[in-house]
Amino acid sequence: MMNGSCQAVSRMEYRDYYQALGVERSATADEVKKAYRRLAHKYHPDISKEANAEEKFKEVQEAYEVLKDPEKRAAYDQLGSEWKQGQSFRPPPDWASGFEFRGAPGAGAGSGPAQGPGARRGAYQFEFDGGGRGFSEFFSSLFGGGAGSPFSEAGARRGGRDHHARLDIGLEEAYAGASRMLELKRPQVKPDGHVELATHTVRVSIPAGVTDGQLIRLAGQGEPAPDGGTAGDLYLEVHVMPHVLYQLDGRDVTLTLPVAPWEAALGATVTTPTLGGSVELKIPAGSQTGSRLRLRGRGLPGQPPGDQYVSLKVVVPPADSPAARALYEQMSRELAFDPRAGLPR
Amino acid sequence: MTNAIESLRGHLLSEEDWMGVETLCRACDLSLEVMAELADLGVLAPRGRSPREWQVPATVLPRMRIVARLMHDLGVNVSGAALAVELLETQHRLERRLRELERYLHSGSALK
Repeated sequence: MMNGSCQAVSRMEYRDYYQALGVERSATADEVKKAYRRLAHKYHPDISKEANAEEKFKEVQEAYEVLKDPEKRAAYDQLGSEWKQGQSFRPPPDWASGFEFRGAPGAGAGSGPAQGPGARRGAYQFEFDGGGRGFSEFFSSLFGGGAGSPFSEAGARRGGRDHHARLDIGLEEAYAGASRMLELKRPQVKPDGHVELATHTVRVSIPAGVTDGQLIRLAGQGEPAPDGGTAGDLYLEVHVMPHVLYQLDGRDVTLTLPVAPWEAALGATVTTPTLGGSVELKIPAGSQTGSRLRLRGRGLPGQPPGDQYVSLKVVVPPADSPAARALYEQMSRELAFDPRAGLPR
Repeated sequence: MTNAIESLRGHLLSEEDWMGVETLCRACDLSLEVMAELADLGVLAPRGRSPREWQVPATVLPRMRIVARLMHDLGVNVSGAALAVELLETQHRLERRLRELERYLHSGSALK
């Protein structure tokens, strides 16, 4: 797409908005609103634990955007009831005659995942937008760009809107820095006066030491202002994905390190992984499960850099051989050790 | 013809970065009045004399966007959204702690 080869023509699919809200075509405005409220609470990405909550919420939001508005709903109904969800769709030639929708066609500019060379596909995703933008191609083809939020008044705005996107990265990338290809979509006025979405790909550098939830602001990379004013900004919210070994807390990382009982009891020097490579860690004699050791400056880089904490976990070897059993029996006989000495008898 | 890919280096917002409240309003699609209400509720701790002069830590932006989404999408009022965002943050902290403890309990076998 972006590297000058070819551009795939996407197939537009019909969306059954009544089905999305779970209401009959004859549903009253009140029934539509109730259905939206119920589903919005169920699927709102900030509160929902449902799988694909974000995707479902966008469907629900888009359906409500149309069905709550008598004019949009009437126009949508004019398409007829024969269409099925997912069916290949193209707007009729005389579409929208007699209707006047708010919102400029194509105003729903947003950002989408890049798929060009070097792009980490699926490595990030774009957040739903509370402003109701980012609706489907089906919606845009019928009604132009999205309108305001279901509960908010659309206000006058001089500059372009800010855009927001979520960027998922691995812990190693947070440590060493990374880059991502982003495909930005912008409305562009064609010579004939129509507005279309133009795309361009940018490579965004993610600095080393970025922490979970931190924002990267790309000034002027949001929505362009309609009259040549100040463009909005693009905010990338970084999410560091869970790691198999390390837990991240700010710039600090914690590793749970299994140790043998004799290493904990007698002390030992063991090879320990860190984000910057393995180090030799000295375990003090008399360590226990839960003992925490600090490797200063071995967390994420920054001013100051984070630390790596090593939480020890004593792992008991199985008594699965005569020799192992003999050793345990010898300890039982010769060590005056009562692990429950502190408990009431 | 070559399609040069533009390289962008954004600004990483940290605890040291502050932004004008109007920038925050634009980024969240919330009004200054709502921001003032959030400040009254303690969800936002701005510095500056009058609301128009307020500066806020840039790191509050994700939190304010959740507030905005709850208000816009669910029709929740300001105090409801403020309460919800605090409860959500508590929930996320506890879930994270639970995941850490679960990982800790199973770490011996996981690392074998």
